Amino acid sequence: MKIRGVFIEDTFAEAFTMRVSRVIVTGRNARWVREAALKLTGFATSVIGCKVEAGIERELPATETPDGRPGISILLMTMGKDDLGKRLIERIGQTVLTCPTTACFDGLPDVPDRVGVGSALRFFGDGFQSSKMIAGQRFWRIPVMEGEFLVQEKFGMLKGVGGGNFLILATTADAALAAAEAAADSMAAQPGVILPFPGGVVRSGSKVGSRRSKTMIASTNDAFCPTLRAVTQTALPEGVNSVLEIVINGTDAPAIATAMKSGIDAACRDGVVAISAGNYGGKLGPHHFHLRKIMEGGEA
Amino acid sequence: MSGGLVARLKAALPERADFGEVLTQPWATFSAREMAERQVYLDREGRVRLGDLFDITGEPEGRIRLVGDLQNADRLGAGLSEGEVTVEGSVGQEAGMALAGGSLDIQGNAGPRVGAAPLGYKRGMTGGELIVRGSAGPEAGAAMRRGLLVIAKSAGERTGLGMIAGTVVVFGTAGRETGLWSKRGSIVALGRITPPATYSYACTYQPIVLRLMLARLSVTYGLSVQRKHFTGSYRRYSGDMAELGKGEILEWVAK
Repeated sequence: MKIRGVFIEDTFAEAFTMRVSRVIVTGRNARWVREAALKLTGFATSVIGCKVEAGIERELPATETPDGRPGISILLMTMGKDDLGKRLIERIGQTVLTCPTTACFDGLPDVPDRVGVGSALRFFGDGFQSSKMIAGQRFWRIPVMEGEFLVQEKFGMLKGVGGGNFLILATTADAALAAAEAAADSMAAQPGVILPFPGGVVRSGSKVGSRRSKTMIASTNDAFCPTLRAVTQTALPEGVNSVLEIVINGTDAPAIATAMKSGIDAACRDGVVAISAGNYGGKLGPHHFHLRKIMEGGEA
Repeated sequence: MSGGLVARLKAALPERADFGEVLTQPWATFSAREMAERQVYLDREGRVRLGDLFDITGEPEGRIRLVGDLQNADRLGAGLSEGEVTVEGSVGQEAGMALAGGSLDIQGNAGPRVGAAPLGYKRGMTGGELIVRGSAGPEAGAAMRRGLLVIAKSAGERTGLGMIAGTVVVFGTAGRETGLWSKRGSIVALGRITPPATYSYACTYQPIVLRLMLARLSVTYGLSVQRKHFTGSYRRYSGDMAELGKGEILEWVAK
C-alpha cells in the first residue's frame, strides 16, 4: 500500500489500557490558562519516567467552559487507577492552584468512576476553605493570597488507551521533522486524543528492556536507529537516514484510530520513504492499530 | 408526554390553608387520583382532600404545576425532597419549609419564612433549590443547612437568619439584618444590602464560584442574570462574628 508514493508497512501499533481523566483549566485570559496548562502537562511524556502521561487536548472558548472564561482541556493518563488520583492531586496542587486567576474543573462529568481531587486539595485552605454544591457537584473554594482558587471535588476517570503510534521513516532528518510536524499539526485539537511528547514527536523510540542492563525497562529502539544500521538487526529500508515517532494517547481506540489516519495522511509527503509502527508482537497490549486497515478506513 | 401533573385551583381559597403534607415524600410517582387524596387543612373547616380544592390532571413524571391564587396557602412544598414543583402565582407563609431536595419554583411572591425551619426547630432547608421569582417576606431561609434559595426581587428583613450553611441569592434589595447570626451561610446580594454590624469587610474580588452559580440560575431557571453580575466584583463581608464567623455576604459592586 502506498500513499503519495510513501509505503505503508503491513504492521500495527500496539497500545495499552490506561486510566484517563480530563481536566478543564480556566483562567482570566488565554495567557494564564496556557501557563497553567503547560505546567500541568510538563514532564509527562511517558509513565516509564514521569509516572503520568499528559497533554493538551484542545483550547476551549469561553462558551464551552463551566465558568464562562477561556479554558484548556487536558488529558492525564496513568497505568493504574490509584495512581491517577495521586497524580491529579499533586499536579493540580502544584501547577493550577499556584497559577494566578485559574480554576479547575472535571471534564468527564458523566463518568461514574470518580476520584477525589478538590476533596484533598481543600486542606491547603487550613480550615478556611468552604464548599458549594452546584447542580449536584461539590466545588471547593480555597482561599489564596490572590483571592480564591476554585476546584471541583471529584473528577471522572475512565479506561483509555495509551501508546498508539506510528513511525515516519525519511531520507533526511529535515524531511522526517517536516513530516512529523505536519502529522502533529493535523492531529492537534482532535477530541479525545493527546500527543504527550514534545511537539507530539519522539525521536528516541524505545524497545522493551535492554541488552546490557537488567534494571532498564526500556532502551533505544536500535532496529530503527540509522546510525546502527550496520551493527544491529535493522528494520530500516534502504535510503532511510532518520526516523521520528508520533505517540498518541486517547480516551478510546476509535479516537486514536481517527487521529492516526489524519496524522499518517499528513506525514505522507516528499522525503518520506515509509510509515511503520511500534509493537511487541501483539503480546503485551490489547489494542492493535493496523496501519493499512486504518488508512483504508476500516476497523483498526 | 404530559409534562407532569397540573393542579388548578377550582375557587379562591376562602381561608388560610395548610398545605404542609401535600408534597411530602412520596409524591413524584403519584397519579392525579392519588394526588387528589392528599390532605389540606383549612383554618376553620379542617381537613379536606386536595382534590376538593383543585382539578388535578396529567400523568406523574416527578413534576407538578399548581395554578391559581395561593396566597392563602401556607407551608406549600414543606419537606419537599423530590421532584419539580412549579407554582404559578404567589404563596403564603413558610413555603418550602425545611426543603430537603428537588426544586420549588414560585413564580410570584412568597410570604414570611419561605425555606425556613419550622418554628422551634434548628434546621431549615437541608437541600434542594427554592426559587422565588417575586419578593419574599421576612426570615426567608432561616436556619438553612444546605441548598439554594433564590429571591428574584426584594427579600424581607432577617433573610438567612441563623443560617448554618447553604446559599441565598437576592437579586433585589435585601432587607434589614440579612445574614444575622449566620454560621457558614453565603448571602449573595446582587442588589442593595446593608450587612449587619456584626459582619466585617474583608476584600473586593471576583468569586469564580458565583459564575457557576449564576450560570445555573440563568440556564436552568431562565432567571435574567446580567452580564455585569458575572463579570463584576463583589465586596466580601465575613460574619456573623457574633456566631462562628465563617459565613459571608457577597455584595455585587459596579466595577
